[in-house]
Amino acid sequence: MTKSVKLEEKTLDLLQDINLDVNAGDTLAIVGSSGSGKTTLLSILAGLDLPTTGEVYLKKHSLHQCNEEQRSEIRANHVGFIFQQFLLVNSLTALENVMLPAELANMDNAEQLAKDLLTQVDLGDRLDHYPSQLSGGEQQRVGIARAFISKPDILFADEPTGNLDSKTGRNVADLLFDLNKQFGTTLVLVTHDLKLAARCQRQVIMDSGCLVEGKVEEIVEDAAEDIAEDIQKEQVESPAENLAQSKAASEG
Amino acid sequence: MAIWVKQSLRLLQHELRRGELTIICLAIVLAVATVFSLSGFSSQIKQSLINNSTSFIAADRVLQSSRPVEQSILQYSDENSLNRAEQIQMSSMVFAGDNMQISEIKVISNTYPLRGELLVRKHIGEAPVVEHAPARGTVWVEPSLLKTLNLSLGDKVEVGVSTFVIAGIATQIPDASFSLFTSGPNVIVNIDDIAATELIQPGSRLTYKYLFSGEINDIEAFEKWIKPQVNESQRWYDIKSRQSPLANALNRAEKYLSLASMLGIVLAAVAVAVASRRYSQRHQPTVAVFKAMGASLKHIRKLYLLHWSLLCLFSIGLGLVLGFILLQVGLFGVSDSLPVGDAKFSFYPFIIAVVTGLICAIAFAVTPIKLLIETSPLAVIRGFSAQPTVTSDSAAGNSLVKKGKSKLKNFGWQQLLPFSALFALLIMFSGDAKLSIALLLGGLIVALILLGLGRLFMNAGRSMGSRAGKAWHLAMANLRRRASENSVQLVSFTIAIKLLLLILVMKNSLIDDWQQQLPDNTANRFLVNITQQQVTSVGEFIDQNNIQASEFYPVVRGRLSSINDEKLIKQVTKEENKASDNGRRGVGRELNLTWRQTLPDKNIITQGQWWSENDTETLSVNKTESLGQVSVEQTLAKRLEIKLGDVLIFQIGSDQVEVPVTSIRKVDWQSLQPNFYMIFNTKVLADFPATYISSLYVKPEKTLDLQLFLNQYPTISMIDVDAMIGQLRSVIDQVSVAIEFILVLVVLAGSLVLVAQVQASMEEREREIAILRTLGAKGSLLRASVLYEFFALGAIAGTMASAAMELAVFVLQTQVFNMEASLHPLYWLLGIFVGAGFVGSIGYISCWRLLNMSSVTLIRRTM
Repeated sequence: MTKSVKLEEKTLDLLQDINLDVNAGDTLAIVGSSGSGKTTLLSILAGLDLPTTGEVYLKKHSLHQCNEEQRSEIRANHVGFIFQQFLLVNSLTALENVMLPAELANMDNAEQLAKDLLTQVDLGDRLDHYPSQLSGGEQQRVGIARAFISKPDILFADEPTGNLDSKTGRNVADLLFDLNKQFGTTLVLVTHDLKLAARCQRQVIMDSGCLVEGKVEEIVEDAAEDIAEDIQKEQVESPAENLAQSKAASEG
Repeated sequence: MAIWVKQSLRLLQHELRRGELTIICLAIVLAVATVFSLSGFSSQIKQSLINNSTSFIAADRVLQSSRPVEQSILQYSDENSLNRAEQIQMSSMVFAGDNMQISEIKVISNTYPLRGELLVRKHIGEAPVVEHAPARGTVWVEPSLLKTLNLSLGDKVEVGVSTFVIAGIATQIPDASFSLFTSGPNVIVNIDDIAATELIQPGSRLTYKYLFSGEINDIEAFEKWIKPQVNESQRWYDIKSRQSPLANALNRAEKYLSLASMLGIVLAAVAVAVASRRYSQRHQPTVAVFKAMGASLKHIRKLYLLHWSLLCLFSIGLGLVLGFILLQVGLFGVSDSLPVGDAKFSFYPFIIAVVTGLICAIAFAVTPIKLLIETSPLAVIRGFSAQPTVTSDSAAGNSLVKKGKSKLKNFGWQQLLPFSALFALLIMFSGDAKLSIALLLGGLIVALILLGLGRLFMNAGRSMGSRAGKAWHLAMANLRRRASENSVQLVSFTIAIKLLLLILVMKNSLIDDWQQQLPDNTANRFLVNITQQQVTSVGEFIDQNNIQASEFYPVVRGRLSSINDEKLIKQVTKEENKASDNGRRGVGRELNLTWRQTLPDKNIITQGQWWSENDTETLSVNKTESLGQVSVEQTLAKRLEIKLGDVLIFQIGSDQVEVPVTSIRKVDWQSLQPNFYMIFNTKVLADFPATYISSLYVKPEKTLDLQLFLNQYPTISMIDVDAMIGQLRSVIDQVSVAIEFILVLVVLAGSLVLVAQVQASMEEREREIAILRTLGAKGSLLRASVLYEFFALGAIAGTMASAAMELAVFVLQTQVFNMEASLHPLYWLLGIFVGAGFVGSIGYISCWRLLNMSSVTLIRRTM
């Protein structure tokens, strides 16, 4: 599969000779630097965009032959999304945001399912809050609940922790992987955060529009070491931080 | 309930409650409220002005005829529940003993007058009372008749073969004709007495007037029915179809009110256009998320059509309420000077406001909403631009460049619908194609020029800004960066300021024009029939009493008998009908001929030349062959096909005068001064016995002195036009007050459009201010830059608006209001300063809250 765009006289190749299979239940990370084409790949895999040449299949649906409307229907029935910018609808409450995909998929008990999911992501008491009344981490938890409500066959997550600090990012990632395991959803994750990528069963690397095989384990190994280091550091720093906080509280 | 209905209602409910739709809602509310109050106000004012002025013709409509009309017409009017009165006018000699006086016999039915009041003094020393028709066997007369015939109340006069008792003195006759050369004072006779007088004989020169009044709809229905039946010897008219200063004032006022309301509609349309664009941009992310989650195009279409429709209905409802309140405030505001209570409540403003709201909401929103619905789900990944990302199945990413080109191509088509809708609205509203085209086409050309000029200005501003300190630099960089959005904003600022200037200039220009027409010292008395011997003593009285007076115009009566040896009998007879058709006396009877050295005031030579002093010296008077010259009034010249150089022969008594036409003049018939069709050069007519006329402005405290003075000269007739001028002035004052109020309404609407436009751009600025604050920009720098940016936008808009206004005023003055064109340099200054000041301060105030927020709050709001 390829993807190119014409810019005036020139043709820009965004994706070149991509071959990728994702099995049901897999968790796959697409890593790569900015501009490497990973988001373009994700948008084609999710049926948001079409390849210039080649074929894309989602379950039995040949996405490359579907029009926008058919792809919409496929997305409603099979696909979930998590976005870096959260992309909650600002004028809907947390509960209504989560209900949205279930309603679009004509599920009967959308409201109850949404409430259960929000409780599960620890936002049971924030059902009526609007996105602007929630922190970034909370908004992304709403995003995660929204992604799982329609029990999608496949979930696409575009830099799900990209807009969060590392600690919140880790919590959100934990939640994502926990729910993914619970629902048995296929997960395709786009990130340049190798630590996050390391938590997936499979990793592929995008480099200048090509999928590069072979180096993945190596990079991820390095990343795994970094994670171990971080965890160690955190264990050392945390008592000091706790101490500082309690001191400030007693002084205040 | 279907999911799309549920979601649509949910979105609308939350967005309204959270104030996210306030600006959009406000724009539509404003549009509807403005149109409602403007149209309601102008229709009520028009109605009440006409109600107040109909007294000048004593009816709503008059059918004038030289013969009695068919009974079926009168029957039809009765069936249509109209009120009806009849009047017959003729000239006849009235006798009292040995004295006689040519008089205007006014025969009226008992229902006369249908509008206005006939005031009759029944006893000397008592106040006049409102009356309809004299009792049978009695007449009411005008004061001058009593004087010339040396009569008093209770005396008898002979009219035709009947004798009548003078039972009252008519002090105010609503439809009294204003003519210096009427055949005499009015004698009012009951219609049931006329047969006995035997004045109506075959061949009598009579004017029958059938007066009608009633509900506006009934009158209009009757008018529609009767108009096609009016024949050549008949004339159907209302107050506005008369050639009078009043009709002129009313017509102009009506046009102005239409213009103001049309401008209101244009402002409303601009507001809705701004709002719908904002609406589209605001909902793009939601549509993209919905689509990414699998919502179909059909689902989104239904959801947003319902959402927009409900929003419009809600806003239109709110606009009607606000408009109603504004209208009541306005009517209350003018109630002191204009009794509007008589005007009937009408559904017209409701209908026009709702239709305007709906048409604007549909026509102006189609393109933005279409773009909104077509927002690509890919936008969730690629981000949102000012122009919605359009879906393209073939290659969404490939369409970037194509879009740019097709955007330009589509622009024309996309604008066609709103422009046609606006045109339809204007036509529907004003019924004046010329005014609508002038307004719209002018607006379109101006908008296009503005778009180009605006860019130029902003570029120039940037290069100036780079040398003018940090805040200016930032402001100009911002202007340049947002050039495309700013151009649109600039156009709407400019249009709003232009319309405000336009309405202000036209208001002042109209009111000035009227005031010039009726200055404080407008002549209020005319002295007619002054003999050569009396001229000196009348002149002395005028001088001694410091009375302002025109000079004495000599008058000789004569008949135009031939043009270039061609006898005029046929032509004159033919023209007689036409002359009586437009109600102006002259040809067909004897003309009032005058002579003078200088061109009178308010007379303009359109062809040929006015004579110089030398011409006169060389002239001799010869009763068959004259070397004199004559200047002819242009409408008469046109009617009789008189050209420069034609030789006219006048029959004066038993003599003939032959003169070549050396000039053709335009005469302002509405000026209250003696006006003439034929003016000769000095001495041509000097040998003929002449009487003189003069117009005076007599202060109230001098009127008694004048009366006493004139008592010595019973042959001099005095025509008192004080009442008429008073009435005219009050109508003009009322119109002026109404126009001032309309101006306030339009200014209010225009200002609110500006506020809405500034508000709409605020969200775009929010993120930018957040970033600059985060990067450490000082509050003072940001405040100054925002102030300068809006200030510059306002000044540019003000400059362009002034230029556009000047153009529009020129077209309006010359093409629509028939006025002299004029330049308005002071208003340019006003436009620029008010534009800069207003837009600057509104922008600054709107940004104030943002500028004073902490960086953290700003970031939380925008991210």
